[in-house]
Amino acid sequence: MNELLAEFLRGYTATNEWSAIMPEIMLALLALGLLVSEMFLPKAQHHLIPRIAIWGQVLIGVYAFSCIGGCLTSSGSFFSGMILQTDVSQMMRPFFLLSSILVCYLGRIYLSQQSLAKTEFYHLVLIISAAMMLLVQSSNFVMLFVALETVTVAFYVLVGYCRTSPFSLEGGLKYLILGSLSSAILLFGIVLLYGVAGNPQLPGASPDSLNFQSLQAFIALNQFTGGNLLVNVGAILVVAGICFKIGAVPFQIWVPDVYQGAPTPVTAFLAVASKAAGFIVLLVLVQGPFLALNELLVPVLSFIAAATILFGNIAAVTQRNLKRLMGLSGIAHAGYLLIGVVAVMRGVEWAVYAVIFYLVTYLLASFAVFGVMAITAKADDANQQLDDYANYSRKQPFLSGVLTLGLGSLAGIPPLGGFIAKLFLFVAAYQAGLYGLIAIAILGVVISIYYYFGWIRECYFGVPTSEIVEDTCGQSTVADRTLLGALVAGTVLVGVLPAVLPIIP
Amino acid sequence: MLDILFYIFAAITLISGLMMVLSPNAVTGAICMIVCFINTAALFVLLEAFFLAILQILVYAGAVMVIFIFIIMLLDADEDSHSYLRDKMSVAGTIVGFALLVVLIFSAFVSSGALPETALQAVAENPSGEGQGIPFTTSAKSFGYSLFTKYMLPFQVTGFLLLASMIGVIVVSKRQEEAK
Repeated sequence: MNELLAEFLRGYTATNEWSAIMPEIMLALLALGLLVSEMFLPKAQHHLIPRIAIWGQVLIGVYAFSCIGGCLTSSGSFFSGMILQTDVSQMMRPFFLLSSILVCYLGRIYLSQQSLAKTEFYHLVLIISAAMMLLVQSSNFVMLFVALETVTVAFYVLVGYCRTSPFSLEGGLKYLILGSLSSAILLFGIVLLYGVAGNPQLPGASPDSLNFQSLQAFIALNQFTGGNLLVNVGAILVVAGICFKIGAVPFQIWVPDVYQGAPTPVTAFLAVASKAAGFIVLLVLVQGPFLALNELLVPVLSFIAAATILFGNIAAVTQRNLKRLMGLSGIAHAGYLLIGVVAVMRGVEWAVYAVIFYLVTYLLASFAVFGVMAITAKADDANQQLDDYANYSRKQPFLSGVLTLGLGSLAGIPPLGGFIAKLFLFVAAYQAGLYGLIAIAILGVVISIYYYFGWIRECYFGVPTSEIVEDTCGQSTVADRTLLGALVAGTVLVGVLPAVLPIIP
Repeated sequence: MLDILFYIFAAITLISGLMMVLSPNAVTGAICMIVCFINTAALFVLLEAFFLAILQILVYAGAVMVIFIFIIMLLDADEDSHSYLRDKMSVAGTIVGFALLVVLIFSAFVSSGALPETALQAVAENPSGEGQGIPFTTSAKSFGYSLFTKYMLPFQVTGFLLLASMIGVIVVSKRQEEAK
């Protein structure tokens, strides 16, 4: 290898700063360590594996949390433009870690009722969590696609994890086929952008046209000179691929079946972390490479937001299966969050933090609800009907209290976190002048109160339709109660004192 | 000499491709497809794209074909269910395929934007320092340079992607020992 070449290549490796992605590396090592410990631990000690997974993540979480404060001055571009660390991506690390810790905890409850492979579940959850962290940092389409595929492929497995249940397998297959379709759409958009931005005959063409920064410069220059059809088509296709992942309306078709079939912890993970990652990527894209395409994307995303809110809420009204209900209401929440994204595109900078705040309250409330569902679920996990909760408050007063507060927060009832989060989003939308969208969102919230409170009513005043079978499942341990209590306390605390979350500047 | 080789390989590619579509037996079709792939690899060699040729053999003629034959074996495809252009989908597919062929031939040879004679650059052996990007070449070495310098992080993440899919296959397919 000659000197010139070595010097040239050193230019690329100069920014390979591995310590900048330390939490991701530690998570990946922990995931590998779980597999190794399953091999070497004696069978009697296998119950330690979930504990290793959870406590290891707690330690990594402490480390990642300390990174926000700035003990590590790692913000900027690394790996020759592959990742770009911002304060948003630093905030999302503890978010993903918190959700994966909760998923591991719920997974332990779920797996104790099933005879399935156990270690691989935690392994995949950790891999997904690490890949999501990289996903929200990526500033190059190659990195974005690889991280996104890692997340998606691991989710295919997790959705179909319960292979003894036909619902789970059906959900896994549907997610596999539709997810591959959406990946193909996304990839097609990326390739169009790559091709058109690498065309040397156009102004601003760059040899590194997958990089977000050079793409942003290219698109801005071409919008200035009248726009380019291929850029528009590529951007629309990329946004469509992301909209599939967050379950926005024309691409929401997979949500109810997959949410119903997937094991309850995986449903929670899909609903919270996968959606959050999708929204952060969308925010990065509309503030970065697609910044100059606002004229095109604002009407498209506004329309999608309105349709998503209405569809999710109206379809959820008649739903009796609770996992499908959570899926459909999750679609509606994606619609509210899209309003925040549109507000960012209209120039309201702090709406980014309103979106993150909403995601945090959504995490707290959703995991409280899904936690109760995971504890209450019988061996037939996919079939959780509203009728199962008839008179639930007599049997489980504490759990139904948790359920009530969680659902109340999701519906946006005043003293709880969900209300404040919705308020922030609506204020941002008001500042951006999105009056029509606010009206639709408020209509959606009113509809959502109907079905959320239908569930609560069933808990407290429902009359059991059939003979109550003496069930052994659904007993909560002290640890379960502590965790759920902490989630609910967090929801209330955020609602009363929003300043405890130092997100909104 | 090269021209004669090109015509031989191209003819074998076309004939085997046609036979693959027309053969009534699924296994015969699969073998014709392998012949087609190998000859495409030979065409790549004639174009001095050795790396692509190796990939073509390893990935398509090797891995993909094993999966195809495996599936044929599992599904036990019978010979009788063979009929051309009976349903609307196959008619539509045929029309679209020939339309694509016409467009490709037209744009390559007829229209004003026809392929230029010498516009394709000679294959560079090493990436050079000009510009900011690593220039794309067809030699295996330049792929290695890119993967281990600029695309180091995605390359590592791809390893975990493959690991996750491998674990997934094991989880979904392994026979579980009964609950203790």
